[in-house]
Amino acid sequence: MSADYAHLCSSILEQCFGKVVQSVADCLFSATTRTLSQIVSSTNFSRKEVVLAVAVLIKFRLVNFEPSKNNPFLAEYSLRREDVICLLRYSRYIHLVQTKYGNVGASIAEELLNAGSETATGLLLKCLSDGENKAESAETYRDTFIKMISDHYIIKIPELMPGDEQDEAVPKFQKNECGFFVPPNIDLQLLAQIQKGEATLSKALDGAIVWSLNYDRFHQEFRDDIMKLAIERKLGENAAECFSFILNLIYNTTDPWQRKASNLVTFVEIKQAIERKSNNMELIKYLDQYICLIMDDSLGFLRKVGDMGGGQYLVDMEKTFESLAFACVEAVITERFGSKAARIFRVIRVKKFIEQEDLQKEAMIPAKEAKSLAYNLFQEQFIHVKVIKKPGGGGSGPAKAFYLFQIKDKDTVRMLLDNCFKSLYNTIRRSNYEKNEHKGLIEKSQRLDSIVEAMKERGESDEYIAEIVETFTPPECEILNKVKNRIKTLSKAEMTLDDTIFLLQMYQHHCTTLPTGIQKFK
Amino acid sequence: MEAEVAQLLLAVIQGIPGGATNDDLSKALSDMPAGSRVEGLNVLLKQGSIEILKKGDKLIYRAKDPEKKSALPKDADNEEKVVYSIVEEGGNKGIWIRDIRMKSNLNMTQLNKILKNLETKKLIKAVKSVNASKKKVYMLYNLEADRSVTGGAWYQDQDFEVEFVDVLNQQCLRFLQMKREGAEKKRDGPLAFKQMSCCTVKEVHKFISDLGISKVNLDEDDLETILKTVVYDGSAERILQSDGTYVYRAVNLPLPAPGLVQMPCGICPVIKNCSNCGDVTAINCQYMNDWLD
Repeated sequence: MSADYAHLCSSILEQCFGKVVQSVADCLFSATTRTLSQIVSSTNFSRKEVVLAVAVLIKFRLVNFEPSKNNPFLAEYSLRREDVICLLRYSRYIHLVQTKYGNVGASIAEELLNAGSETATGLLLKCLSDGENKAESAETYRDTFIKMISDHYIIKIPELMPGDEQDEAVPKFQKNECGFFVPPNIDLQLLAQIQKGEATLSKALDGAIVWSLNYDRFHQEFRDDIMKLAIERKLGENAAECFSFILNLIYNTTDPWQRKASNLVTFVEIKQAIERKSNNMELIKYLDQYICLIMDDSLGFLRKVGDMGGGQYLVDMEKTFESLAFACVEAVITERFGSKAARIFRVIRVKKFIEQEDLQKEAMIPAKEAKSLAYNLFQEQFIHVKVIKKPGGGGSGPAKAFYLFQIKDKDTVRMLLDNCFKSLYNTIRRSNYEKNEHKGLIEKSQRLDSIVEAMKERGESDEYIAEIVETFTPPECEILNKVKNRIKTLSKAEMTLDDTIFLLQMYQHHCTTLPTGIQKFK
Repeated sequence: MEAEVAQLLLAVIQGIPGGATNDDLSKALSDMPAGSRVEGLNVLLKQGSIEILKKGDKLIYRAKDPEKKSALPKDADNEEKVVYSIVEEGGNKGIWIRDIRMKSNLNMTQLNKILKNLETKKLIKAVKSVNASKKKVYMLYNLEADRSVTGGAWYQDQDFEVEFVDVLNQQCLRFLQMKREGAEKKRDGPLAFKQMSCCTVKEVHKFISDLGISKVNLDEDDLETILKTVVYDGSAERILQSDGTYVYRAVNLPLPAPGLVQMPCGICPVIKNCSNCGDVTAINCQYMNDWLD
C-alpha cells in the first residue's frame, strides 16, 4: 500500500460517505487494527459519530472486526483497503448485470450497491417501490435475484453463530463455504402485505440473512473479458470464441482465482462443448488449428501439458498477465517517451541483462539518443541497473564495474500502478475543485430547473417560463456548459484509468505472491 | 658475388618449409665458406626475404611469404619496419596507437613521426572507429576496415544513419503488413493464414533490393538486424522454425491504448513531483488545463 493509494482511498471515501467516514477510514488505513476508543481519540469526533461511521463501513463491507486476542469483549477493526477502490467500479458492475439480466437485474444490483448489504426481502421491497420498474412483477424480481445468487454474482454474508453466550462478546460468524450461494426462501405473500402496509419488515423470516454483491465474480468476468479481447485483437474473433469456451470449461474444475495456472482440460472436452453450444461453423471446422494458434502465440495464454484425450491444455494465467501487463507498460512508455524508448525497453526485456553499448547496437539507435532514452527510463524507474563489480586485483589494476540494464518486472508494474493511483486521485481532486469553484452556478441552475419544472406542472404560460429561464444569462450558461464538459471528461478518464489499474492488479494477483484484494469468499 | 650466394641460400631455405638451421645450410651448400654464407644471410635479412627465429639455442632461418613481403620501400629504416609489421599484424581490425607504442617500445614523438611518414607514403591509413569517435586505429592502406570498426552499412563516415535505418524499418514493416493483408484475403483456415503471413529474411531482402532505396549493398544479415528492430517495436513477431531459421510476421498489439495515457497524468514528465502542495498540483496543472479546454 502506497501513500498514493492512501490519498486515493481517502478521497473516494469522502466522496461517497463524507468527512467523518473519511477520517475514520484514514485512521484505520494507517494501522493494522484499531479499537473503537483508539479511533475516537485519534479522530476528534464524538463517539456517536465514529460508531455510526464504522457501522456504515461495516455495512459496505469495508471494515472487518474481530475480538481482540486478550479480551473477547473488545472488538478490533481493520480496513479492507483493497476493496475501497471497488466503490469506483459501481457503474461497471451495474453495466455488467444490465447486459446479463436486463433492467431488473440492474435495479437489484443498484439497490444492493447503494445499501452495501441488505436482506433479500428488504432489497426486493426497495426495488419494487422504485418508480422505474413498476411494470415488472415481484416474481420476476425474485427469480432474477435467485438466478444472480446461483451465478455467484450475489453472495451471502456469513450468518451469526447461533448460541446464547453471544450477548456481550464480539459477534462470531459461521464460516461455511458451501452456504454462500444457497438461495433464500422469499415469501412473496408477505412481501405483498408489507408493500400494502399490512405488515412490517421485521416480520420477514430472512431478517438474519444479509446479501451483498460478490465483487470477485465481477472481477472474474472483467478479467476474462480482457483476455478474450486480447485474443480477438491478435488472432481474430473465432479464436476468442474458442478461448471463451475453454475458460468456461476450466471454471468447472478450477478456482477462478488460482494464481499461476488453471487445471487441465482436454481437447475432446473442448470439442464437445463447442459442438454442443456453438453454431460457428468455421470454428468447429478448424478447431484444432485455432487451439494450436492460441497455444503458439507469443502471449502464451494456453499451454499443452500432455496428450491425454487428444491433448491436455491449461490456461497459463501467470504468463498471460505478464504479457498483457507489459503490453500496457510498453504502451505507456511509447506515449510518454516515444517509440524508440519502447524499443529500448523491449530489447532489455528480451535480453534480460544488457550493457549500454550492446543496447544501442541491438536497438539500432545512435549512441547519444539511446543513452538519453535509457537514462530517462532509468530515472523514471521503468528500468533498473545491475552493477557487477570486479574487485581490483590487490592494488594492481583498477577495480572494474559493469553496468547492466535490466527490468525488475514487479517493481516496474508497482511503480506504474502507483502512478495510476496518483492520476486517479488527481482526477477526483480536480473534479471536486471544479465543482466547488462553480458551486454557486451549479446550484443556481439546479434551482432554476426545479422552478421551471414546477411551473410547467402548474401550467404557467410559456412566456412567463421563458422569462424565468432568461435569468440564467448566456455567459453563465457558457461557463456552466464548460464546467459540465470538464467534469464529464474527468469522470470518463476515471473509468478508463480504472481499466489500467485493474489490469495491473491482475498482474499482481497472478504473477506475484503478494497479498491481493482477492481472497476466496471474503 | 654476394647476390648469387644470397640466391642460393634463399633457394635452400625456401626448400625447407619449417625453416633451415645452420647445419642444414652447411650440409646443402658444403662448398660455401662460412664467411660468405653469413654475408649472404645478412643480405637476405636486409631485403626482408627471410627471418630469424630461435628454437632452443639454435637459430632457424625461414623464408617469408613473398606475397606478404612488405610493400615497404627499400630505404625504410628499422623503426619503420617494426611499426609497419605491428600494424600489419593488426589486420583489418586496426590497431590503436597506444598498443603500437607498447609493442614497439618507441617513444611517442618518434612513433608519431614514423606513423605520419608511413601515412604519407600511403602504406598505412588511420581509420576512426565508430565505437569511440576519438579513437583512431591504424591498418594497412590496402585493407578494408572491419565491420566492428566502421559499423557496417549503417554508418556514413562516423555517423549513424538514423533516417536510413528508420526508412528501412518502415519498409520492412510495410512488407510484413502487405503479406498479412494478402493472407487475410484467402480463406484457408487459421493456420494457413498464419503461415502465409510469415516472411523469411530472404523474401524481405528481395523486396528491399527491388525497391532500390538503398545505395549501399545490404546483405541478409543487415536486414535481419532491421527486422529485429521491427520486432522490438512490437509490430512484428519473430518465430523460430524447425530448421533453426527465423521467420517474421506482422501482429496487432493485444491491448487498446491503456486508460492511463489517455489523460495527461499518464504522460506527465513531472508526475513524481505532483502532490497536494507545492508548485505541481492537480488544481493548477497546466497540462490538465490544456486537456480540459
